Amino acid sequence: MRNKILILALATAIGSTAQTLGRKLDFPADSPVTAVSSDWSETRATPRGGAYVLDVHAVLSLRNSSQKRIRGVMLAVQAQEVTPGGKGSVSVPSLDVAPGEAFPLRIDLPLLCPLGAGGPMVEVKLDGVLFDDLTFYGSDRLNSRRRMTVWELEARRDRKYFKTLLETAGNDGLQKEILSSIARQADRPSTGVQMVRGRSTNTDPEREVQFAFLHMPDSPVDPTTGTARIAGNEARMPHINIQNRSERGVKHLELGWIVKDQQGREFLAASIPSDVNLAPGKSGLVAQDTALRFSERTQVDSMTGFVSSAEYSDGSYWIPTRGELNDPKLRGVIAPSPEEQRLLQIYRKKGLNGLIEELKKF
Amino acid sequence: MNRHVKETDLALYASGDVSLWQRAAIHLHVRRCERCREVAGEFRADARALRDASAGLPEGLDWARLSAEMTANIRVGLEAGECVAPRVRGRLRKSVPASIPERWRPVALASAVAAMLTVMLAGAWWLNVPAQDTQALNRAMHSIWHGHAAMSDERGAVIEASSEGIELRKNGGSLGVTQDAARLMTVSVSTQGSASAHYVDQDTGQVTITSVYAQ
Repeated sequence: MRNKILILALATAIGSTAQTLGRKLDFPADSPVTAVSSDWSETRATPRGGAYVLDVHAVLSLRNSSQKRIRGVMLAVQAQEVTPGGKGSVSVPSLDVAPGEAFPLRIDLPLLCPLGAGGPMVEVKLDGVLFDDLTFYGSDRLNSRRRMTVWELEARRDRKYFKTLLETAGNDGLQKEILSSIARQADRPSTGVQMVRGRSTNTDPEREVQFAFLHMPDSPVDPTTGTARIAGNEARMPHINIQNRSERGVKHLELGWIVKDQQGREFLAASIPSDVNLAPGKSGLVAQDTALRFSERTQVDSMTGFVSSAEYSDGSYWIPTRGELNDPKLRGVIAPSPEEQRLLQIYRKKGLNGLIEELKKF
Repeated sequence: MNRHVKETDLALYASGDVSLWQRAAIHLHVRRCERCREVAGEFRADARALRDASAGLPEGLDWARLSAEMTANIRVGLEAGECVAPRVRGRLRKSVPASIPERWRPVALASAVAAMLTVMLAGAWWLNVPAQDTQALNRAMHSIWHGHAAMSDERGAVIEASSEGIELRKNGGSLGVTQDAARLMTVSVSTQGSASAHYVDQDTGQVTITSVYAQ
């Protein structure tokens, strides 16, 4: 009898805490994509302290209800917008969805929302859709237009590069480059990095370290000088002076931040996006009150910066060419574009012929 | 010498089963006390005789049967002891060993209940609380233990990217995006307060980019 009471008490203590989750697909009436079906069966909400953890696992089937081919979609997934941890996004770049066609979109995202009378709720909104003519639809609250446009331009650049390689060097040349890219991915050093806003509490002595820069011949903006504060395994407050050397205004810039540790390992630590609004020939400053912390055994030795993308004032973009990305310093640390990742996976799955068939579609 | 050492202690002393300081104290006493010296000598002689006798046990002895008989005898002895022992008030008292003095029994009972609750809470924690929370608690305890409790984790949102995925930490809690490791291709951090993980579907090659935002 005592055992039964004990088991009953234990069962009461550990009883199931999963909650019913409210969900809402919020697409505008004139949205170019419509939801055909959705499966939320794996989604759960669990109370934790003063909040719910929403473990969102859903598969949506979306249809292109527009008259154009879709190249990318970004959905905002949010529990409560004002809560840190309550907002995420899921993007699918490198699409080629014809009008009327359906495509799947998988959401795997944990979110936080406060405990409230209304119960846990997850809301999926359309942040943006990019079409094959680079026109855009959406609220763009998560800067999906810029991100998807850059991904699409990178996709076009990389497909063109591989198609040219196929034409000039044949199947063997393409295969060699694909295998080289797969090997680079496998060898690309990675380290855990934490990003925090503001001053860190690192007790190591701090020093100011100058950035070195990779200058890309075609880049509209040139970084001239720059520094960051380094203390042990932490780098913070990057300040980079830039100059617009193009004949057009530049309104947004994204810099890559490469860190070298005392063992000589180099890795891409972070990207530094910045709204600059830089007139032709003018100089400006990119400064952010941000700290990056690496694993404890990573002692920062030196840093390198480079321009990874820029948006002109007229809404057009600049991205590095394949030739510029072939710089020995960049080749080993830059991740392949989403399109190159897709093509490499097609090669792994279907072989060289499958890849060639895929390239011929564009 | 007007007080002798207890026989049980002398027996333990003779077999070498007392602590070092107790052994020294009894040894001093035995050197001066003829009676205790004799008793200790008898215990030593008994032990020698037992060792000699056990060396001569017959071959083919059925140890299993002997063990069962001994267990049964012990049970009979215990039940007989219960029949003659004074009645203990309350059911819970039965769970307190008789060797515990009466005045310590409430403390022993409270300890037993506390231990039971601890086991239940630990079980509930283990089954219900996500591993990330347990890790956050471990980190907090580690920071407090090592005297640097004000680590940046507690200063605001921390976004982390590693080969296992991306994670957002805030107020000691954490949210991690960790999918099938085979699908994870790239993670990246933006200094504007977001992190992204690129996943590739192994069948179709479709790339899905999941991002979390600190604000």
